[in-house]
Amino acid sequence: MMQTRTLTTLNTSRTPQMIFWGVRWSALIYLSVLIALPLIVISVEGLRGGIWSFWDSITRPAALSAIFISVWTAALMTVINMIMGTLTAYVLVQYRFPGKRWLDSLIDLPFAIPTLVTGVMLILLYGPQTPIGGWIEDQFGMRIVFSSPGIVLALLFLGYPFVIRAVQPVLASLDIHQQEAAYTLGASSWLTFRRIVFPAILPAMITGGLLSFARALGEFGSIVIVSGNIPMRSQTAAVYIYGQVESGNLAAASSVSLVLMAIALLTTLLVDYLARRRTAHA
Amino acid sequence: MRKLWLWVILLMSFAPTQAQTQPITLTLAAYAVPREAYAKIIPLFQADWLRQTGQEVIFEESYLASGAQSRAVVGGFAADVVALSHEQHVTNIVNAGLITADWQDNPYNGMVSASVAVLVVRPGNPREIFDWADIAQPGIEVITPDPATSGGAQWNVMGAYGAAYRGQVEGYEAGEAGALQFITDVFINVSVMDADGRESFLTFERGIGDVAITYENEYFAGLAAGGEYEIIYPSSTILIENPVAVVDVYVDQNGTREVAEAFVAFLYTPEAQAAFAESGFRPPVIQIDPDIDVTPEVEPTPEATAEGETQFPVIEDLFTIEDFGGWEVVVPSIFGDDGIYTRMIAEVKGQ
Repeated sequence: MMQTRTLTTLNTSRTPQMIFWGVRWSALIYLSVLIALPLIVISVEGLRGGIWSFWDSITRPAALSAIFISVWTAALMTVINMIMGTLTAYVLVQYRFPGKRWLDSLIDLPFAIPTLVTGVMLILLYGPQTPIGGWIEDQFGMRIVFSSPGIVLALLFLGYPFVIRAVQPVLASLDIHQQEAAYTLGASSWLTFRRIVFPAILPAMITGGLLSFARALGEFGSIVIVSGNIPMRSQTAAVYIYGQVESGNLAAASSVSLVLMAIALLTTLLVDYLARRRTAHA
Repeated sequence: MRKLWLWVILLMSFAPTQAQTQPITLTLAAYAVPREAYAKIIPLFQADWLRQTGQEVIFEESYLASGAQSRAVVGGFAADVVALSHEQHVTNIVNAGLITADWQDNPYNGMVSASVAVLVVRPGNPREIFDWADIAQPGIEVITPDPATSGGAQWNVMGAYGAAYRGQVEGYEAGEAGALQFITDVFINVSVMDADGRESFLTFERGIGDVAITYENEYFAGLAAGGEYEIIYPSSTILIENPVAVVDVYVDQNGTREVAEAFVAFLYTPEAQAAFAESGFRPPVIQIDPDIDVTPEVEPTPEATAEGETQFPVIEDLFTIEDFGGWEVVVPSIFGDDGIYTRMIAEVKGQ
């Protein structure tokens, strides 16, 4: 009796170990096949012609301007969404109002809509022939779609959920007593927000913002529709890369992709660093 | 034992008829624009093939942008027949070793349909655009797709460039310098460059721009869909030709060579050409001698427009890409990294 029991315990203690190894290896293999391998192929393709041909591909005026346009539109979107997204999250966590749950699930919709549809929708809404678009063009002499504001608008739409979903849980888990204490001590609600709430949610804001920035860098579907795609003016890197692929210039396409990947990698590393610092603080 | 023999005889008597009636599957990889035409042609061919051989043909049709379709076939999409918008896209398949026979070895050079680069303007032609020179005037807003993403857009650029090169655009000297100056002036006016021809014409339909550089068939398709605009035929423009080819390696793998070749031959019959003409395509032009004979051999259905003109007016000075050395010369020298167009667009829009 005694002996059989020891045997079973031995067996059960070995099985979790094997499951652990299995889980670890399948995760690693999955990661390398799905992520690392394609990235390696792009890197090899981009550097196939040597470093000079890589340099030549990314310093062409059209390529440089495309990368620049991608970065500034994504950065502008990130700043706006960090503010507006935080505001939305704050409202959703702090206040009760009818339709709140419905609104809350609406926020994730941009994740599910094909971005091409986003592009078409924006044109139907802000195109020069529509009431809104026509009015803006008449009043301000500015075109929304088929120009860079259209790019930012498309990115705002698809980047919106990132900041909200990063900030929301942090806000929800905030210790309400701290805020109550601040009020009792006579602090205004603005002061309370600035001194108590804001420092707590700042890392989450940055994390969400940078994630949306990385996502926006590579956005193609909506931008190809709304940007007007004029080289040097409103052509983003993703659309430029598409053009290079269509023209059979895979090396140039991969080179510019490498630059985008490097920028995205730096942002995700930054996110990682900030997340780690946050957990260290907590 | 006797029973077994009976079975064998029974099976053998079935075998030949079964082989004959076994349906065969033909995969067509086409670009998106002639979809409606193929929707009419395919049933005609299926009936024809059934009548001649007693065999049913099942079609698997794929419609994508021409360049994407070409890449898919090179990448292993085992299509039996490719119908593309641009000769270069077939050349890519040839270079991949998948088309081994001379696909242009027919009176039509392997081109199944044709069109011309034209200008489309708003009803009543409010900006008074009558020829190429008018779209280079300051303040005219021009719409054309991006030649980097759209093979079709390269026809537009070559239409404008070629007309000026041949001295047919008022105010511009014949030759390379004048032609470059002309497309520079045109592209200063270009405000939207969509990724492909369809999208570009859609943008024009949404009310953007004074004039769209597009293809004649696109205009007819838009008209049929209820669009309101007018077509302007430049006095000099390029003949657009769309290739069709049998993919040798794949038909031999699939055992479909016979039916694939019959289908391609069928596309040149008057009934198939009539379907293309209904979709706005001109019949292919015979190119046996280098001097192009513009008379079509197969007559399309003679549809007359309101003014009593035929559906496809004769262009005064019609030229082809061969006049500029063919796409294998034009693509690198005009659209390549250091091509005339590529340098021009960076300069014009970089200011």
